[in-house]
Amino acid sequence: MSDVLRRIEIPLIITALVALIQVIPYYFDFPALQGAANTASDWVLLIVNAAVFVGVISLGQVHMRRVQRRSTHWEYSIVLLVLMVVMAILGFPLEGMGLGLQNEQYQFLFNNVYNPLGSTMYSILAFFITSAAYRAFRARNIDAALILIAGTIVVMSNAPIFTSSAPFLIEWKNWIFDVPNATTMRAVTMGAALGSIALAVRTLMGIERGYLRGGGEE
Amino acid sequence: MRSRMSLLEKMQNIDRRYIYLLGWIFVLFPLLNPLGLPVPIGRESRQWKEYIDNIPSDSVIVVSLDYGVSGMPELYPMTVATMHHLWSNSQAKNWQIVVCAFWNQGPLVFDTLLSQINPASAYGVVYGEDWIELGWIPGSETGMNSFAVDMWGQTPTDYLEQRPLSQYPMMENIRTAQDVDLIISFETGTPGLPEWLRQWNTPYGVPIIVGCIGVSVPGMAPYLDSGQLSALMPGLTSSGEYEILINRPGLAVAGLDAVSMSHLLVVLLVVIGNIAFFASRGKGGS
Amino acid sequence: MVALWELLGIYTAVFFTLAIYSFLYGENPWYRFAEHAYAGVSVGYSVAFNLRYLRDQWVNKWSLDGTLMILYIIALLFGILWYARFSRNYFFAYRWTLAIVVGTGIGMALKTVIFTQFLAQITAQARIPLFVAGDALQTFSNILMAIMTPSVLLYFWFTGGAREAGPMKIVDRIARYTMMAGFGMAYGNTVLTRYSLFIGRSQFLLGILPNPPEAKNAFYVIAAVILLSMIGWDLLKRQSK
Repeated sequence: MSDVLRRIEIPLIITALVALIQVIPYYFDFPALQGAANTASDWVLLIVNAAVFVGVISLGQVHMRRVQRRSTHWEYSIVLLVLMVVMAILGFPLEGMGLGLQNEQYQFLFNNVYNPLGSTMYSILAFFITSAAYRAFRARNIDAALILIAGTIVVMSNAPIFTSSAPFLIEWKNWIFDVPNATTMRAVTMGAALGSIALAVRTLMGIERGYLRGGGEE
Repeated sequence: MRSRMSLLEKMQNIDRRYIYLLGWIFVLFPLLNPLGLPVPIGRESRQWKEYIDNIPSDSVIVVSLDYGVSGMPELYPMTVATMHHLWSNSQAKNWQIVVCAFWNQGPLVFDTLLSQINPASAYGVVYGEDWIELGWIPGSETGMNSFAVDMWGQTPTDYLEQRPLSQYPMMENIRTAQDVDLIISFETGTPGLPEWLRQWNTPYGVPIIVGCIGVSVPGMAPYLDSGQLSALMPGLTSSGEYEILINRPGLAVAGLDAVSMSHLLVVLLVVIGNIAFFASRGKGGS
Repeated sequence: MVALWELLGIYTAVFFTLAIYSFLYGENPWYRFAEHAYAGVSVGYSVAFNLRYLRDQWVNKWSLDGTLMILYIIALLFGILWYARFSRNYFFAYRWTLAIVVGTGIGMALKTVIFTQFLAQITAQARIPLFVAGDALQTFSNILMAIMTPSVLLYFWFTGGAREAGPMKIVDRIARYTMMAGFGMAYGNTVLTRYSLFIGRSQFLLGILPNPPEAKNAFYVIAAVILLSMIGWDLLKRQSK
């Protein structure tokens, strides 16, 4: 029995069925199937939300192992584990016990720890871009020169210090946006659409199985 | 010649921490000492303002905050300015504004906005009659699809007062995507415009305008050209121009001097770096 | 006068901001601490949102009807199968849940992607007029677009040896130059975004309204402490070498 349950065909058939439940009612007028598709998509959202603890458990396993083995910088893993568990518990939707999104400590951690860390993590890239602009952005050949010229025009046109004295920069930027950029992104969009359709069809046919890998078996 | 070569080499191999320090100086200085540089108005901010000014009366507008705290510096100013623009006109034009989010931090961002602006006292708009907040809808594109089919099913209660939607008269006739006349989405990534187009615009024909971060701007071009996207607010500079157009200078305008100086730094470094590169190549260097 | 709790919050926010920026000087314990803190809270905070959604959906929708109740319980059972991924023996059950979610996502996108991202773009491209009376620049631009878009598409579709054939060399060059100009746009806007984020943080650190003004003092104090500690640590390491 367990050998039957382990067969890869089961999830492949499930994938195809649930996908077709969504696609068919869009092209064919079957009210009952449309209703089923709507209920199915609401139902799937419940399943998606039930994965709430997967990240907690995964990260917990990795860092508890580091603490047990006293790996390099294991002390910081304790910080991670403590904050993760505290945040998860404080956020439990038990408003009667004072927990939940409005809990004062949850709000404190979210506004004063998560918020600044999240914002700062992305903003630090500004420095790396600046350093790269100085050290690596060279007009070594025609291709690089084109990126350099187009990029410099766009950088200048985003800064009022340049556009206030040279308004034509805005027109040049608009042209770059409307012509080479639009054509490039149009081709990328169309190519990506065809690629996603091909991938979807392969997945529905069971040829593409990468998403089912893992667990030490195939 | 040797010392000149080594100077050129030194210029190209300067410790990157000095460059980081320059970055700090060029940003902090104009924030501490505003330069008051003039701000030319570009076409995107003008089009955005005109689009909102021309929203027909009796329209139902969905405002979706599809970003989190990481996108706040660039998107929050345009969100505030747009909500100001909408709330200022919503009673005169009988607009009904539904605020939602497909990123779980979206409601928290809007909480920050409400802590700074009281719409009732500032604009006279009534919660539940002129506008409502429905909170986060999970599931990314699947959630967008479910929301389009049955808005009440995805958000049975509102976010601020936690009351059933049946208790709000404005929601009586707002149940599916077919009842919505415009989507205004502020986004940093996925779910974003392509998902909106696939789940709301193509099946139901709902027009969309998007405010996005600079990184996302190039990808918007084909949709703007095809008319699938009706207007675009591309980043902080345009947000500042928009604030000036609606006579409400805010965070975006306050940051424009720093934008100018930081971009000046980048241009200077690119120019200097390339001069050093070509000079050292000319002298037979690397 | 700001309450002590609020002041503690402001100092905490400033500390974590500067701890991340301390990476610019070099890898250091402040940065490592902040990095691990970020990983911990970012995984933990979303638990609140997901559980609240499950509870609200049960209370307001799925508990109102017998059939919906059964569907909700089945959904939770499939949801529990997510955790089978941590078991070697029952990993196969995790694939069922994954198949449901992946299949639904594929179906959602597949039904309209051909219209949204393919046909609409072809239509828009076909509608570009090659001649615009009285506007030479627009005419020139439109002709360029008519040449560039198929060139870039062919560049993506025909790779490797296919680009060596005579006409493809020209197409290859046109496509590359088009993309380079387009990527220049991407670079310029990336600079804007990253500096906008840094400017936003700087406005917070300098206490510029509507950010709390107390952040400015916290910035000076904590920046001095972190910088001096890193420089001191650097000097000690060099001396011990």
